Amino acid sequence: MLEKTKVLALIGIIAILGNWVGYDVSPIKALPGMILIVLFTIIGLGLNTLIPKMPAVVWISLIALIATTPIFPGNEWIVEKTGEINFMALATPILAYAGLSLGKDLESFKKLGWRIVVISLVVYTGTFLFATLFAEIVFKLQGRF
Amino acid sequence: MLKDWKLHIIVLVFVLIGEAIGVKQFNLGVGTIALFPMLYVLIMGGIVSFPKLKWLNEGQMKKAAGILGISFLLFVAKLGSMLGPSLPKIFDAGVSLAVQEVGHVLGTIIIGLPIALLIGMKREAIGATFSIDREPNLAIISEKYGADSPEGRGALGVYICGTVFGAIYLAMLAGFLGSLGIFHPISLAMGAGVGSGSMMAAASGALAVTFPNDAEDIALFAAAANLISTILGTYLCVFFSLPVTARLYEWLEPKIGRTRKEAAK
Repeated sequence: MLEKTKVLALIGIIAILGNWVGYDVSPIKALPGMILIVLFTIIGLGLNTLIPKMPAVVWISLIALIATTPIFPGNEWIVEKTGEINFMALATPILAYAGLSLGKDLESFKKLGWRIVVISLVVYTGTFLFATLFAEIVFKLQGRF
Repeated sequence: MLKDWKLHIIVLVFVLIGEAIGVKQFNLGVGTIALFPMLYVLIMGGIVSFPKLKWLNEGQMKKAAGILGISFLLFVAKLGSMLGPSLPKIFDAGVSLAVQEVGHVLGTIIIGLPIALLIGMKREAIGATFSIDREPNLAIISEKYGADSPEGRGALGVYICGTVFGAIYLAMLAGFLGSLGIFHPISLAMGAGVGSGSMMAAASGALAVTFPNDAEDIALFAAAANLISTILGTYLCVFFSLPVTARLYEWLEPKIGRTRKEAAK
């Protein structure tokens, strides 16, 4: 847990610096928001060890969600501070680590046949397209847009 | 994990370079391709981890994958903090959110399974098309058929493809489909909420770049859709997707399956 906390803090710092370069938010301005985000994550992880039936990501979403709803004391301040962190800036380090882990699957990837490569493209297209299409149909039926 | 300074320093440098380059869009005539920091760092990372270069060893790559999982949690927390103030907006789109999940689940099977059979896959097709084959789905299929079964190999194959090019592909697809102007950004955002961390991040990022004015809403609805997939995903897979795919396979295979002596790998 301590190890995870340190890693989370480190990624938080990387994201704050990325947020500075990419979105012009000074690290000092971004720091409180990032501390809150790390805190939500740690609380979520803690709850996950207590009640592991629910996935960690669900716990973490729930904690962050509750802390930013109007019923939670100080929610306006929390929303304002976490709002300083651009969600794209926080996603960039994730993809960087994903890139660095890529090489380990390259050997197995080379051994795959062409069929499975084609099908995986079809599968990703299918899930994206159908979810979009179904959502769009419902919105259209409801006359939303 | 904290001790892997080499990894963290590479990530920091890449993030700074990537954010400094910023967003670039290319017009292809019919639509645009959006390039943005997430994709640059992913590609730069992929080059560094290229096995032939020997810059990183297997252990470091595995650690990077572990840190990837932890770093995604921060992203989830950030998205969660955007959900709280927007709950009325999300409940307002409740029906769409529920129905899009059906699309996520059916989408892989409806076009995946027939095409898999048409190009000559056998029982691998079940594992390959019953879901997008991320970690939880792999666990389900190996429990039912065994990891070394044809079904298990099909699932693992799609899993490996997803790791290698899933995020980039979904980002391109989302950006391109968005630029065509057929779908509303919110519908596309729900599509981007696929049940995999880096795929969702990259796809919603591409949409946010394509529709800068709707960036916040895109993150919001991608997050909501992803959360639904995470909560319901396992149950839907065990009780719906997998049995339905297996049934459909038995029914469709004699009709459109191609006869081959050796099953596809």
